[in-house]
Amino acid sequence: MTAQSFEQTRRDFLVRTAATTGALVIGFKLPATVLAADGAQAPEVTHWIVIQPDDTVVIRIARSELGQGTFTGLAQLVAEELECDWSKVQPEYADVNEHVRRNRIFKDMSTGGSRGIRDSQEYVRKAGAAAREMLVAAAAQQWGVAAAECKVANSVISHPSGKRTTFGKVAAAASKLEVPADPKLKDPKDWKLIGTSPARFDIPDKTTGKQIYTADVRLPGLVHASVVQCPVFGGKLKSHDPSKVSAMRGVKRVVAGEDWVAVVADNWWRANNALKAMPVEWNVGDNGNVSSESIMQFLRTGIDANDVPVARKDGDVQSAFAGAQKVIEAEYYTPYLNHATMEPQTATALYKDDRLDVWVGTQNGEATIAAASETAGVPLENVYVHKMHAGGGFGRRGPHQEYTKQAVKIAMAMPGIPVCLQWSREEDMRQGRYRPVGIIKLRGALDAQGNWVGWHARQADQSIIVTVRPTMIKDGVDPINTRCFADNPYAVPNFTNEYAMRNTHVPPGFWRAVAHTNNPLARECFIDELALAAGKDPYQFRRPLLQGKKDLGVLDAVAKAANWAQKPARGVHRGIAVVDSYGSFTASVVEIAMKGDNTIDVQRVIVAIDCGYICHRDAVVAQVQGGVIWGLSSAMHEEITIKDGRVEQSNFSDYPVLRLAEVPPKIETILVPSGGFWGGVGEPPIGAVIPALCNALFAATGKRVRSLPLRHHGFTYAT
Amino acid sequence: MTAVTTHPAPPPQAGRRRVLRAIAAGACVALARPAEPAREHLELALRETFGQRPIRPGKVRLELPKLAESGNVVPVTISVESPMTERDHVKSIYLFAEKNPLPRILEVHIGPHNGRAQVASRVRLSTSQWVTAVAVLSDDSVWSAAREIEVTVSSCG
Amino acid sequence: MSRLGRGRVRVPERAAKGEIVEIRAMVEHPMESGFRVDNMGRTIPRHIVESFTCTYGGSEVFRVRLHPAVSTNPYFVFYVVATMTAELVFTWTDDQGGTATEKAVLAVH
Repeated sequence: MTAQSFEQTRRDFLVRTAATTGALVIGFKLPATVLAADGAQAPEVTHWIVIQPDDTVVIRIARSELGQGTFTGLAQLVAEELECDWSKVQPEYADVNEHVRRNRIFKDMSTGGSRGIRDSQEYVRKAGAAAREMLVAAAAQQWGVAAAECKVANSVISHPSGKRTTFGKVAAAASKLEVPADPKLKDPKDWKLIGTSPARFDIPDKTTGKQIYTADVRLPGLVHASVVQCPVFGGKLKSHDPSKVSAMRGVKRVVAGEDWVAVVADNWWRANNALKAMPVEWNVGDNGNVSSESIMQFLRTGIDANDVPVARKDGDVQSAFAGAQKVIEAEYYTPYLNHATMEPQTATALYKDDRLDVWVGTQNGEATIAAASETAGVPLENVYVHKMHAGGGFGRRGPHQEYTKQAVKIAMAMPGIPVCLQWSREEDMRQGRYRPVGIIKLRGALDAQGNWVGWHARQADQSIIVTVRPTMIKDGVDPINTRCFADNPYAVPNFTNEYAMRNTHVPPGFWRAVAHTNNPLARECFIDELALAAGKDPYQFRRPLLQGKKDLGVLDAVAKAANWAQKPARGVHRGIAVVDSYGSFTASVVEIAMKGDNTIDVQRVIVAIDCGYICHRDAVVAQVQGGVIWGLSSAMHEEITIKDGRVEQSNFSDYPVLRLAEVPPKIETILVPSGGFWGGVGEPPIGAVIPALCNALFAATGKRVRSLPLRHHGFTYAT
Repeated sequence: MTAVTTHPAPPPQAGRRRVLRAIAAGACVALARPAEPAREHLELALRETFGQRPIRPGKVRLELPKLAESGNVVPVTISVESPMTERDHVKSIYLFAEKNPLPRILEVHIGPHNGRAQVASRVRLSTSQWVTAVAVLSDDSVWSAAREIEVTVSSCG
Repeated sequence: MSRLGRGRVRVPERAAKGEIVEIRAMVEHPMESGFRVDNMGRTIPRHIVESFTCTYGGSEVFRVRLHPAVSTNPYFVFYVVATMTAELVFTWTDDQGGTATEKAVLAVH
């Protein structure tokens, strides 16, 4: 079957089933290019933009929508420069196969590091500007007038002489013109769309349940698979006995990999039941005895070591401590955490006639197509990745494509039959790519005036980057894990940051905000400890040390909003923290009251964020709210523990996350975009929340918590 | 024929940095790829290997996937147009990766007895980058081809 | 301590005189690049195959100088003109003095 006839068949199938089947296929938006009126491709006005004769503006989105609003934000950036009618904009994912065939024409598809808007903004805005110039040039050519005399607004091109046309009418002619190499972009003060809050494209369907996720895709003959991987990381499959389950109802096949085995059946429930019933043996390898306790001991060797790689060294920390009036020392600990995305890892694959189709909610279409191609031995040009909106990414679905590879392997074993592989919740919990565990030991020196003159920060934790890009480790220092310390904004004259790498067999991953989820706890709580020892207010203690830094702007904003200068209301206690990450600056004040000794009533969380420019205002606010929830959840509840080399947790019953009733009634976002730069928004809001909460807890109880989760200290949230 | 820009040789006591800048700016190397600032790393390796001989795009075909997931095992095939006779053959083939910690990957020595100037292997690429294949012919002329590859796992948090 | 393992080669059993034959050769070796770190961040020392040669009827027909960027279990595909019935000898040498040799006869008619 040729690619074209497959497309035609697929289109017919989707159109037919949309009309007849109803439920599952409703809301599956067919790519606009498939729906072009006469079946022919509507013209591209630059590869980013397709304009239909009816003025529909299809904008191609290279990154992935994970709920963070990228699908809408990237379209907004294009539309601002394009001057199109926003009500006719329809974003669609740039086709990954086409992207590869056209030599990566849509540039970076990876969605991580809070880079979706800030890394794309310039070239997508230029795409909009270039297309606008081409459309105007086409109209001007048709009218025999100078392009500079024409005006553009809302997809309408007009000329003072009274001539008027719309984008849809000149798109074909425009598509034949040369693409301007370096079109001029608007000055930010002229923005009409950027900075506003147009209705998000993804929210309605997600709210009404219409949104199609990978597991909802229905294809003719679709079968379902469940997989189990060696519970001890690094172990291998020793034996399995398919004969025990092959006669079970609905079971089609058993497929095994090097360290996993899957059952394929006519529905997922049957596949999973058969999987659980099948005898499977593992060669667990060397790590069957590893436990959270042994890991803690291993980390401690890093804290106690004599010689530890230095990430940063300013001044002379030895002298500073020798001459100090007061020395404060504290150790902080944070556990492994799981992404626990609401959608478990899922991928659907179909291998037929040397063509491979994969449906997956990936954070990186290129990573998926590369993984699928290499696994199947099918050339990239014959692999078609259908990007789905993901039910939560948070860093789980980008560099790690093992579910894709498993689905492809199963599909290769069953040519012509589409296979939907969905990990059980248990598998998702136990085969995560975890936020690493770590201990941080901090020492601070104060002089007689209570000035912070010396600082020694030693970290012992597990490197993530070493697993994907080991060449970034220089002299034993991990540049990502040392963030918040090696790049800290505080003007402390004598500072040494040391990093002791201690990697375990537990697979690490980039958990939303990465090192800014654990390092800020230590840093910002320790600074409060120093402030207390110096007899100073924690906000005032920080201010002089942040002069000239953007961090001061957000710190002041949040202190002002909290009315920090005044004592809080009776029974209310406050904590403050400031953290910059991924190009943006944030600060937080958390207000709590205690109900009894142990129940924390989080009443109000304020976050100020300076991300330079704002693309979609409500999306930024939503990211702050989501970030607060993310931070509060891990502060109180989340923890992955290891026993006998494997993860102990299995589901949300033993890996609790924040519940609706625990969400504070007030989450206030203060936007202080200072302009002049594009900072990330997906991750930055999280950094300051956890330490601000712990600082508030100290203010409330006198208890200094230095390890998470809080529930181990007897605390709960009020509901 | 390459456009060769000559710069006066730096004085003997010039530091390495000045030498590198002169090399990069001098660019007696017209590599087979769109104009892009040549990386010092690669340029130095090329100068060390091929001296002042101009390196011309052509004759060499470099097959490399456009994308690789981890970059640990990337299949590569280098073939050079040549009759592979005594009088006219390929003597050696080199492979470079400009952003690897070491730019050299492999050096192959062949001759008319091979019949075909083609070699395939599997290589490690530490990140997204340009990969360059260079062939030296029996007449000492030097030819090249370059391809870009995106290593997807290296783009992460 | 060399970790050079066994070599494996694929040579056609027979060929016509003058035919260009394809040869595949692989050897087990970790090709430790020297750029990896252990679980405590310490550099794992380099240990690689440095050279691979093939002789045919006693004369060298193929030689490779390998650097750390050649993948684990170095693999090469190359070509040789079949001239006479003779032995092909494949030799791999690593940086710790390890050597491995494989032989195959090419019958030429």
